Parts: sequence; structure tokens; C-alpha cells
Amino acid sequence: MNMNLPTVNVSAQNQNIVRGQRNNKIKRFAVIASFLSPALILYGVFMLYPMADAVRYSLFDWNGASPTMNFVGIENYARLATDTLFFRALGNNLLWVVLSLTLMVIPTLVLAVLISKVKRGKTFFRAAFYLPSVLSLAVVGVLWSKIYDPTMGPINIFLRAVGFDFMARNWLGEQMFVIPALVIASTWAFYGLYMILFLAGLQSIEPQMYEAADIDGAGPIRKFWYITVPSLRNTMNVVISMVIIHALKGFALIWIMTQGGPFYMSEVVSTLVYKTAFSMNQVSYATAQSVVLGIIIIIFTIGFNYYRERTE
Amino acid sequence: MSRKSSSQLMIRVVLFLLLTLIIAPIIYAVLASFKTNMEIFSSPFSLPSSWNFENIVNAWQVGNFQQYIINSAIVTVGGMFVVALVASPAGYAFSQLTFKGNNLIFYIVLLGMALPVQAIIIPIFFHLRSMGLVNTLTGLTLVSAALALPFSIFLMRNTFRDVPKALRESAMIDGAGEWRIFWTVMLPLAKPGLVALLIFTFMNIWNDFLLPLVLLMSQSKYTISLGLYSFQGEMATNYSLIFGGTVISMIPSIIVYLIFQRSFIEGMSSGSNK
Repeated sequence: MNMNLPTVNVSAQNQNIVRGQRNNKIKRFAVIASFLSPALILYGVFMLYPMADAVRYSLFDWNGASPTMNFVGIENYARLATDTLFFRALGNNLLWVVLSLTLMVIPTLVLAVLISKVKRGKTFFRAAFYLPSVLSLAVVGVLWSKIYDPTMGPINIFLRAVGFDFMARNWLGEQMFVIPALVIASTWAFYGLYMILFLAGLQSIEPQMYEAADIDGAGPIRKFWYITVPSLRNTMNVVISMVIIHALKGFALIWIMTQGGPFYMSEVVSTLVYKTAFSMNQVSYATAQSVVLGIIIIIFTIGFNYYRERTE
Repeated sequence: MSRKSSSQLMIRVVLFLLLTLIIAPIIYAVLASFKTNMEIFSSPFSLPSSWNFENIVNAWQVGNFQQYIINSAIVTVGGMFVVALVASPAGYAFSQLTFKGNNLIFYIVLLGMALPVQAIIIPIFFHLRSMGLVNTLTGLTLVSAALALPFSIFLMRNTFRDVPKALRESAMIDGAGEWRIFWTVMLPLAKPGLVALLIFTFMNIWNDFLLPLVLLMSQSKYTISLGLYSFQGEMATNYSLIFGGTVISMIPSIIVYLIFQRSFIEGMSSGSNK
């Protein structure tokens, strides 16, 4: 008889412990939720939900105004596959990628190396060279469209003044020149960021490497190619991927300076998306375009990070 | 020694030449903002014949720039506030608290870093319209803050990860709850990360163009980027006034940069390297 009592007590105790644990669990969940939920709600409402909606819109035929949406399946994507304008925009994006890689990566690295070699005034040079990057793209766009202006622009005025009239031209109005001109403006706006990344990377190179090279009698160019560049592999990867992603996403500068024109010569996917959705009112078709651009960028970003983790 | 100092001199000369080239467009704009249209055309590279602020004052009055700057300040400060308030606890939770699904949820958030705004801007517009928030500064603030979240949470998670876990445990033994630990122990330690976060958010929201272009319709709501863009359209041939507006738009960013220059550049290099 007495034998049973303790066991009952123990099980009651156990129950209490279990209940207590459950209460603790709920409390713990509430605490963690209180830390996370504001961020997750904001992220869900303004990013995840629109992401799902983008896919949904792209499967319908909708002009943005009518109350009903017609389901059309992959029709928008099929149309995209034969849309020469879309491929032209994509091609311009690729040209943009190639030109910005050429203009940004090595020249910016050389600039960073020069700054890192300065003994006094390093901070000044670093800060001054970064200055254009603090300006908004609206400022950069307005300023550079005036610099390229065919009659009032300083470039053409200078060319005419020194007798090179034949070189003066409508920089933003000719097929051969519009994208390079835009990329130069964009390089001006962005190189500061990469310069700073390179400067940070340069600081982590062991000075002994250079001392050893000095003993071997290596000149500055050899040291640059055989020590600096290989040591900066990680930074280089980051910079290259950022340049490519920037080039694929580009919108503001192009919109402000040319609106994709003249005659679609500087059209890129994001300007095309904007026009298709908000001036031509083909909302679902524009969404399909933006989904394709998004997928390209996401695949690239994730693939690149995967590559980097494997090689690091 | 002398070979060394002569190479130092060479580097300096090269850097100054490059710097002149880089800064030239800014100098050109500032000089042009003092000139008449005629002067911009006839002597683009000379100093203005007189230093009066007429163009800047006119642009300020005609172009509504006061309103644009106020709007930009509201959206930017509001966005910074929301981002800091929401991303720091989240980054803290992801780095210091253990719970089921921690990694999975974090990866879902991280996905947002790869997602370009361009891909979701159309649904965001219609979404905001149905909430009655299109063409409002509130709507723009919320969307700007939300889009900044993935990177911000990532940055704060990295910041809190460097704080030793033992600190949390000893505070817990003293009987402090999670929020108390967060506010009084952790957040002060995360100050450098928080400063970097605020600088990033400021630059991104203040300089943004696409979101205001899509989400704002009436001129009284325009932010400075959108305001300058529309001003350029209206004043198409009045170069003096356009340069006046351009200089007005440059000043706030440059002032903020000069004040926070050091933490700015440190934030840039640490933030993007992680």
C-alpha cells in the first residue's frame, strides 16, 4: 500500500516537470518570435509575397486596371522567347557587363595599389577618390547627360576648339557610342566602392611577400602580377560578381540619360520592364520579363557564392 | 633613399592627375551653376564672370527642392529607424539564440539578398495600391526598409556573432531576460555594426531612384532624386537652372559624407567583405 504512494508522487512530479517544460517551451517560442517576427512580417509582406505574386501575374493576361485576370499559362513566356526587343535588351545588358568589367576591375585595382603605396595622405586620396560614389545616380545621370550634350556639352566644345570637329558627335544618340558613354558614366559612379574593397584586400597581404620578391629583384609590374593579383583572389571574386550584378540590374542611369533610346539602342531589360508595365499597360507580360531577369540574377548570385565557398 | 622618395613623388603626381580627371565633372557642375546659359556655352572651362547664387536660389524656388529634401529626409530617417529597430533583434536571434529552423529561416531571408528589386517591383506597386499606400511617403518608407532587410539582417548577424556567447550566459545567471540582455549588453557591443548599417541604409534610401519613380505620382511627394529628374525634364534647355538643381542635390550627400567619412569607408569595406 505504502509502496504505491511514492510512485504516484513521482509521476505527479514528472507531470509537473513536463508541464513546466512545455510552459518553458511556449515562453521560449514567444521570446524568439518577439525577436524575429517584426523583421519576418516586413520581409514577408513586401518581398516574399510580391515574389509569389510576380510568378502569379506572369501566368495571367492582365493590364493592371481590369478587375479580372485571364489565366494564360506560359503564354507570356512563349511570347518572350520570340520577342526580338527582349533579346536586344538582354544583349545590351551583356554588352554592359563586358564593358563594365573591362573598365572597372583592373583600372580600379591599379588605382588602389597606387593609393596603398602613398606614405602620407593615404586617407585623403582614399576619401577624395571615393567622392563621386556618394552622389545619387540621379545627380550622376543629369550631370553626365549635360557633359555629353551635343551642343552645350564640354566634350564636344573641347573637341571643336582643338580642331577635332569630326570627332564631336551626339554621344547619347548614336548606336556605336550610347552604351559605352553610359558605361563610362556608370564607372564614374561606382568605381569608388570597388577601390575601397581592393584597398581593404591589399592591407591583408603579408609585406614579407614583397620583401622576398625585392630580394629576387622583381620589378613593380612583376610584383603586381605575381603577388598582388593572386593574393587578392577573394576580393577579385567579390568585385567581379558585384560588377556583373550591378550591370544586370542597371536602371536609374539609363532611365535618366536615355530612357533606353534612341530606338531601343540602349534598352536593357529593366527599362523594358518599366515601359511595358507602366506605359504600355501590359502588366503580366512585363512581369514575365522581370521574372526572367530575376531568375538570371538569382542563379548567377547563388552560383557564384557556391563557387566561392568551394574555392575558398 | 632618394630613389624611394622620387618614386613617392611620382605616385603622388600620378594620383593628383587622376584625381583632377575624376573630380572634373563635379567642378564643372559647380562652376556652371554660377554661369549664364551663354557663358556655359561660350566658355565652359573658365571661372564664372561673377559669383552669384542666382541659379541655385532660382532652382530652389522654381524647382520645389525644399519639399524634395524634406520628403527625402522623412523617407530616409524613417527607413533607417525601421531597419535598425527590426533588423538588429533579428540578426541577434539568428546569431545567438538556438531554435529549430534557425538556419532554414535565415536562408530564406538570405535569398532576398539575391533577389533584385526589378523582379518584384510590379507586384509591389499593385500590392501597395490595394493597401492604399501608393503615392504616400509611408508606403515608400516601408518598402525601402523591407528591401534593405536581407542585407541588414545579414550584417547584424555577423556583428552579433563576434560577441562572445559567455557574455550572454553570465547575464542570464544574473537573471536578465533575453530582451534585457539584448538592450543593455548586446546592442552597445554591436555599435560599430549598427553604425555601418545606418550609413548603408542612409545611402541606399537617400539615393534611390527606381522605388520613388514607381511608387510616387504627385510632385509634392517626390524625393530629391525624383525631383531632380523631373526638374531636368521641365527645364530641358535652361542649363544654368539644371546645374543649380544638380548642385542643390549634391550638397546633402557630400555633407553627410564629409562628416561621417571615416566610419563611412570602414563600413563599406567591412560590410561588403563579409
